[in-house]
Amino acid sequence: MSEQPNSTDDAAIPERRIGVYICHCGGNISDYVDVEAVREALKDEPDVIVSESPVFACADGTQHDMIDDIDGQHLDGLVVASCSPKLHQVTFRNMSNRAGLNPFSYTQVNIREQTSWAHTHDRAGATEKAIGLVRAGVAKTRLSVPLVPLVVQTKPRTLVVGGGIAGLRAAIGLADVGLDVLVVEREDQLGGWMGRFGPTFPRDLAGRDEIAALVAEIDSRRDITTYVAAELTGKSGSFGNYSAEITLHRAQGDKVLTLEVGSIIVATGFDTYLPEAGEFGYGIDGVVTLPDFKALVESSTGRLTRNGKQVRSVAYIYCVGNRQEAPGNEYCSKFCCAATIHESIQVSRLDPTVRQFHLHRDVRAYGKAELLYSESRELGSTYLKFPDDEPPAVATLPDGRLGVTVVDLLTGRRELTLPVDLVVLVTGMVPRENTGLTNLLKLPLGTDGFYNEIHPKLRPVETVVDGVLIAGCCQGPKTAGESVASGMAAVAQSAAILKKGYAELDPLVATVTADACTGCMACVSACPYSSITPISWDGHQIASIDASSCKGCGGCVPVCPEDAIDLLGYTDAQMRAAIEALVKEPVG
Amino acid sequence: MSTLIDPGLMGDVLKFGAADVTACYSCGNCTATCPLADNDASFPRGIIRLAQVGLTDDLVSSKELWTCYQCGECTTKCPTQADPAEFMATSRRYAIAHYDKSGLARVFATKPAVGWLLVVVFAAIFAGFFMTVRGPADANALVLFDFIPYPVIHWTGIGVMVLVAVFAVWGVASLARDMARKDQVTWKELTGSAEGRRRASKALWYSLGIESLGQRRYREDCVDSAPIEPLYRRRWLIHALTLWGFLGLMLATGLDYGLDVAGIKATGTPVPLWYPTRALGTVAGLALLYGVTWFIIKRIQRAGVASRTSTPMDWMFLGLLWVTGLTGFLIEVALYVTPAPTWGYWVFLVHVAIALELVLFLPFTKFAHAMYRPVGLFFYSLAKQRTDAG
Ligand code: HEM
Ligand code: SF4
Ligand code: SF4
Repeated sequence: MSEQPNSTDDAAIPERRIGVYICHCGGNISDYVDVEAVREALKDEPDVIVSESPVFACADGTQHDMIDDIDGQHLDGLVVASCSPKLHQVTFRNMSNRAGLNPFSYTQVNIREQTSWAHTHDRAGATEKAIGLVRAGVAKTRLSVPLVPLVVQTKPRTLVVGGGIAGLRAAIGLADVGLDVLVVEREDQLGGWMGRFGPTFPRDLAGRDEIAALVAEIDSRRDITTYVAAELTGKSGSFGNYSAEITLHRAQGDKVLTLEVGSIIVATGFDTYLPEAGEFGYGIDGVVTLPDFKALVESSTGRLTRNGKQVRSVAYIYCVGNRQEAPGNEYCSKFCCAATIHESIQVSRLDPTVRQFHLHRDVRAYGKAELLYSESRELGSTYLKFPDDEPPAVATLPDGRLGVTVVDLLTGRRELTLPVDLVVLVTGMVPRENTGLTNLLKLPLGTDGFYNEIHPKLRPVETVVDGVLIAGCCQGPKTAGESVASGMAAVAQSAAILKKGYAELDPLVATVTADACTGCMACVSACPYSSITPISWDGHQIASIDASSCKGCGGCVPVCPEDAIDLLGYTDAQMRAAIEALVKEPVG
Repeated sequence: MSTLIDPGLMGDVLKFGAADVTACYSCGNCTATCPLADNDASFPRGIIRLAQVGLTDDLVSSKELWTCYQCGECTTKCPTQADPAEFMATSRRYAIAHYDKSGLARVFATKPAVGWLLVVVFAAIFAGFFMTVRGPADANALVLFDFIPYPVIHWTGIGVMVLVAVFAVWGVASLARDMARKDQVTWKELTGSAEGRRRASKALWYSLGIESLGQRRYREDCVDSAPIEPLYRRRWLIHALTLWGFLGLMLATGLDYGLDVAGIKATGTPVPLWYPTRALGTVAGLALLYGVTWFIIKRIQRAGVASRTSTPMDWMFLGLLWVTGLTGFLIEVALYVTPAPTWGYWVFLVHVAIALELVLFLPFTKFAHAMYRPVGLFFYSLAKQRTDAG
């Protein structure tokens, strides 16, 4: 807890020495904003010691000049008016650090995305707006106080939730980099989907064997502990120091363990889409889903048989529950084309006379799976492409076989009825029902129901919850290989967090002004991160905010009837000063 | 209307050849390169597709099978090495077997060992039959029609022709009926009006005159894939010589018979080389022998896509033709030798036996293309006239 100046009275503000840099951004800003006019308007503001208008503020040379200015002019505050903070806030914070200026005494003002690019037809108006924004930035900076990151010690141990191929491989990776590992698996057995599969693409290796190899390796590692029939049921503490409550479901009753971990990798996998009754004939005997078919092929020795009857012809209907608005989902599950093609090759090997028709909208056997596509054709599979808006229909024929009616674009749009013994609905992946875990970890879900990463390319396994990483298909459909790769990415990220032994947390967090807090605790329910707890102080109860778990979202600030909560870096006083500066009479 | 397909079609077609065609992914490069796929025809791709999806009736009644001249351009451009040209050849065999109700063609195409055995057995039956009825072999001059009495040859020939005609008419009629149905051509449309009759006769002329006798598209459009072969062994020429040679021999035989009936010259009477029917026969025989020999050489050399893949059915037809041609030519030679060589009689016996076998097998072997191609070409011309008329 720290106290903040709570008044905008000028007399209370100590004198500051602030540098202001207004960037041209080549011409991105200066083409639409009169950068010189902005500098003119700012140069005589109180406390502004340096005002410059570089062509590129982010250029190495400009950064050197800034460092010289900070040093030579003894600046204690810095404002760069340029692009979005998303782009260069970190750049200038780091530069401030190098110059010996507290990085939180630096303010970035966005006059590109929010000004020049937004008002390309109004140079005067854009310039006026830029002046107001920069003034607001200066006003906020004048009230800044130096802040230091919070340093917390971290536990060198990672909890992996989910014992499928991604989680198991990640566990070994974590152990390899010297971290302790706990694996929690909800089912009675490790292995997930892959553990149930025989030969899988791309190279026919049996999923079962791959899992067995991973499990054998894990058994030989002393630093990996696995719990099956177990769930993560509680989590407290903060990044680097979570305390995880694990419930073991045992015949004698549930048993609860509490274990300390530094990070959590969620690798809870997927479920397969279950067609609705009647969807492509689902419910008719002989219409099966891809996982069912895979099991059927694996259990067949010699000929392909189902319920004791020989299967002579198969129709596969692709993209069931995928790439459509309803029923099902709009995304593509990525693995199913290749998996189906691979399975059809298995069938051809079992019995080359089985006639196989693949009914698809597109075949997405990308990458090396293209070779499987060729192989399956050479082995006699026929591919039929139907129009997006004319899906096939399945019904029973008078002779008892199944009739799949399909419009084949490549046979001149003819409508054909294929009499077959078996129809396989190529079902994709859906997010697994995991509400308990999702709520517990506060993981954000995408509109598709899978866990959301921070950035699809640059931060693919991190979530907005610090120290909680996602791997495998819980993040979205993946092949087994891709799942393992994302598991390994989560290992690297976990190591990056935990191997230093400590973590620096952003100091931009909420604090309670103890004197002002009446202990009403209205703020507690406003905090989505459970960071606020009552403590007793000076004889009465007040709210206390745990800096290590606070995300600085500011949710609690407006809730407090006493204005007793302030967000460091964005204090009430700073925001008020900024607003006042913004609405000050414009120049010229 | 939905068509119930036959899932077994592709497997059945594959028994006739075209092992690589399953690789086809319907890209259409072959159709784009085919010099003969015009008039909106989508072959060979479209025809491969029919087999892939199991549309049997559509496949066997495709006129495209018979307007493909097996140049092999498509095969050289196929990205999946599906060998579409070989597929077209295979489908022709399949269609021949489909329209042959005796089942012999299927045996020839799919059970080569049995097929060859049948060839030998039938030849032996003919030869054996002639052996038992044979007359004296004159040692001074080659009096062939004493050795195998003329009426025997005459009546056996007629018997064989009647038998063949039954199967040939049946096959041609069924194919024509199916093609007409597919293209929605009616008998009434062709004969009911002057315009219809004009179109029909134009199609007939195109099919029999321009294409069958004139071999126009074979000559003009169906170029062997590069490098272009020298004229003396170019496919259209050797085919034309084979075809003209065969027809020339038929004509010579027919004329001879005519002269006999007209009482001008009895069959078998020795005549000088310049005598018209004999001259025609000699030239035609040489042309046939020349053409067929080149076909055989090209198949042995595997020269060009068209001759790269050879099936027993190809060899059977070439073999029967070649033996017929060669023995016929040897008889010509024997006629000059004095005193008459005894081998001349035996060559004659072989000649008559194999020639009869060749004709007898017409509807069941690759020879059947001589009766089915004109049908396909007829409907091709009708369709083209329709398109051109708009
Ligand atoms: C009636 C019209 C005819 C047409 C339009 C025609 C056309 C063709 C074509 C395009 C081919 C090449 C494709 C293939 O090998 O299947 C071919 C092959 C052949 N034709 Fe004809 N043909 C006709 C009649 C005849 C006749 C009467 C004979 C002689 C008896 C004959 C002898 C041959 C031979 C020997 C081959 C095999 C070539 C090889 O083995 O490569 N054709 N014909
Ligand atoms: S045969 Fe070859 S070229 Fe023709 S459609 Fe098939 S893949 Fe394409
Ligand atoms: S072999 Fe020649 S004529 Fe026949 S389909 Fe191929 S390209 Fe066309």
